[in-house]
Amino acid sequence: MRNVWILVKKDMRVAMNLRRLAQEQSVFKVLFILLFAGGLLVGLWALFLQGFRFLDMLGGVGLMLVSRLFSLFFLGLGVMLVISSVITAYTSTLGSDETAYLMLKPLTFGEITVYKLLQSAFYASWAFFFAIIPFIGAYARHEQLPPGFAFWTLFYSVPLVLLCAGVGMIVCLAVARWFPRSIVFRHALLVVLAVSLWWFLHGLTRTARVQSDTTIVLSRLIPGLRVASNPLWPTWWVSEGILCVTRHQWGRGLMLWLALVTTTILVGMIAEWLGTAVFYDSWQRVRASGSRTVRRRTLLGFVEPLLRWIPSDVRAMIMKDVRIFLRDPAQWSQSLIFFGLLGLYFLNLRNLRYHMMPPEWRNLISFLNVFSVSSVLCSFGARFVFPQLSLEGHGFWIIGLAPTTMARILVAKFLVALAGMSVVSIGLMYISTLMLQVGWGIRVVAVGVAAAVSLAVSGLSTGLGALFIDLRQQNPSAIISGFGGTLNLVMSLAFMFAAIIPYGMVFHLQMSGRFGPGGFERAVALATVWLVLVTVAVTVIPLILGARSLMRREY
Amino acid sequence: MIELKNVSKNFGAVQAVKDLSLQIPAGELFCFLGPNGAGKTTTIKMLCGLLKPAEGTIHIGGMDIRTHAVEARRITGYIPDFPFMYDRLSAAEFFEFTGDLHHVPRETVARELEGSFSMLGLMEYRHTLVRDLSHGLRQRLIYAVTMLHKPKVIFVDEPFIGLDPFSIRMIKDLLREKAREGVTVFLTTHILALIEDLAARIGIIVNGRLVAAGTMDELRAGHEIKGDRLEDIFFSLAT
Repeated sequence: MRNVWILVKKDMRVAMNLRRLAQEQSVFKVLFILLFAGGLLVGLWALFLQGFRFLDMLGGVGLMLVSRLFSLFFLGLGVMLVISSVITAYTSTLGSDETAYLMLKPLTFGEITVYKLLQSAFYASWAFFFAIIPFIGAYARHEQLPPGFAFWTLFYSVPLVLLCAGVGMIVCLAVARWFPRSIVFRHALLVVLAVSLWWFLHGLTRTARVQSDTTIVLSRLIPGLRVASNPLWPTWWVSEGILCVTRHQWGRGLMLWLALVTTTILVGMIAEWLGTAVFYDSWQRVRASGSRTVRRRTLLGFVEPLLRWIPSDVRAMIMKDVRIFLRDPAQWSQSLIFFGLLGLYFLNLRNLRYHMMPPEWRNLISFLNVFSVSSVLCSFGARFVFPQLSLEGHGFWIIGLAPTTMARILVAKFLVALAGMSVVSIGLMYISTLMLQVGWGIRVVAVGVAAAVSLAVSGLSTGLGALFIDLRQQNPSAIISGFGGTLNLVMSLAFMFAAIIPYGMVFHLQMSGRFGPGGFERAVALATVWLVLVTVAVTVIPLILGARSLMRREY
Repeated sequence: MIELKNVSKNFGAVQAVKDLSLQIPAGELFCFLGPNGAGKTTTIKMLCGLLKPAEGTIHIGGMDIRTHAVEARRITGYIPDFPFMYDRLSAAEFFEFTGDLHHVPRETVARELEGSFSMLGLMEYRHTLVRDLSHGLRQRLIYAVTMLHKPKVIFVDEPFIGLDPFSIRMIKDLLREKAREGVTVFLTTHILALIEDLAARIGIIVNGRLVAAGTMDELRAGHEIKGDRLEDIFFSLAT
């Protein structure tokens, strides 16, 4: 393991140098981003706290929910961590040039696997801790838990992050090594997965019907509750363990922590063993498969003539970006995971009997769905839209020398992002409101907010991507995690809150009966004016600044 | 030192390298020549262990690279045409990191850093981040780093791309010196004049098949070719 330590030390040096680079940034920039990030954490904390208080107001069911939300939260995070670890493991291990470099050094494949596992755990952990801090803070405040609670959360979370990264690495290597390449098989597998997930969700409601009353209600509210409380899940060991040590139940807490740590070590050993056994073959299948041919007449070949009305230079940029997106498995698979899971969940809302709930609950679920679709849009903008100009990289001279303007190039990038995001988000929100059988008012607001978020996030991410363009960087992760990328994510999330919260407040006040005659309609109109203004500003201003910056720039 | 026996490599239906057999003794500077897509880089990647041959065996320093991969990598160095480097490490940090990976003692690393950085004109850039180095300086750095663990075999893929005449001279001298010290150098390039100048033996690969191998005199003698220059030999064999 000495070699793994050498590699980790190298990453620590890189981090130190990053700090050096950050110190060279203007103080204003750093303060601005810290302020935004801090504001976002505080905002999320307040939102979670309000959520807990709202559940309290519901009485018995709400109180039960609060106590079980902790395990559900860790289950959700654990599942997301595993999914993101599979993707991170793929891009940082089999899709990375560093791996080829390491394979030329006297390192065993097991050592490379363990190092990459630690690296992907590190990459995945910042988002994990960013998500966990406000929730844990709000939970601790709500339950009036001592400060030691934060320490114990960290104590239990680190092995969980490593465990999920280990599972991600195992899945990544196994898929790369053994997944059949036949297109028919892949399509068949997708269908089987979709049907299985639907059947799983359907099954949850079927079993709920034969259980006690309380469980039925709980299961309808949150279908994962029963799954989250399964004592075989490592995420349950984490949630239960933290609560045990916070309540000074040391023996049980230690037992759960040891169960977690030993499982993590076991998964790490399996990953190392698998790496030793199949890493080289997985690499060969992914990286050494040789040139691929592209069928001349693909679906895009049929779509292209339909876009003849778009000027040829803009159309060429659009088609190029779409082709590259579709031919990069790392990109489309992440998008599929981002939006596919939401789609399946929305399609199953009726199976979960959500449409039979009281109207106020359906309205609330609609808003939560707007929130989840918007969050995914913000992540999508940060991950795919923001770096797209920088990723033109050394090929930028082709665009730069073409008889077109930088503004048109920017518009082409913006249109691609907007088309992709708006079609998916509007479709998802329409399905969600349809399944929930909410009124037309809520339906229009939900779909409208999704469209506005698509528009603003496309404009913001494209504009900031131009403003903070880095043509030397070929690694998307590095572009995203830089100053511009972080600013983009933070501003997208800030916009999302600014767009959704006014409507949320209006509908909340209406539900609590605090509006006089005509007050509700006036408040909705006001929130809509605010949404339009803020959307136009967030879309247009970054695009103008980005276009100006591109035109002033020397290449 | 390098031994390939009946090595073939397919990419789907395309056979990139066909039944390649070759022996290169220690201390020889061997140049591999061929048109674009002939299989040069595929061969060099198989020799380094980055690609797995579909058929045949490869031995480096007497070790089968499939069964003794780590041991073989201890005695080899590879300089690709566009090398991967850690952009956010300084030149000296990258050098020390490579030394650690090859388990070179820290004192030796410090001594070698002084020596090779001075020789390659990198001393004033030792604390500069790799991302801020010019192409030529990056190339020099990769040479310094590759030589650090004293490899017995060096694979060099297109070493002179984008370099100025001073850097080309520096690298030519370095490779000659290494060959004199007993290091085997396996080199691919398209610059025929440099091959004539550098190579002890030349191999010509066309469509994945080795069509000729030998010294300049052997190549001339073995093939009835009009003209004396490598260019004449190459064109007559490659077309």
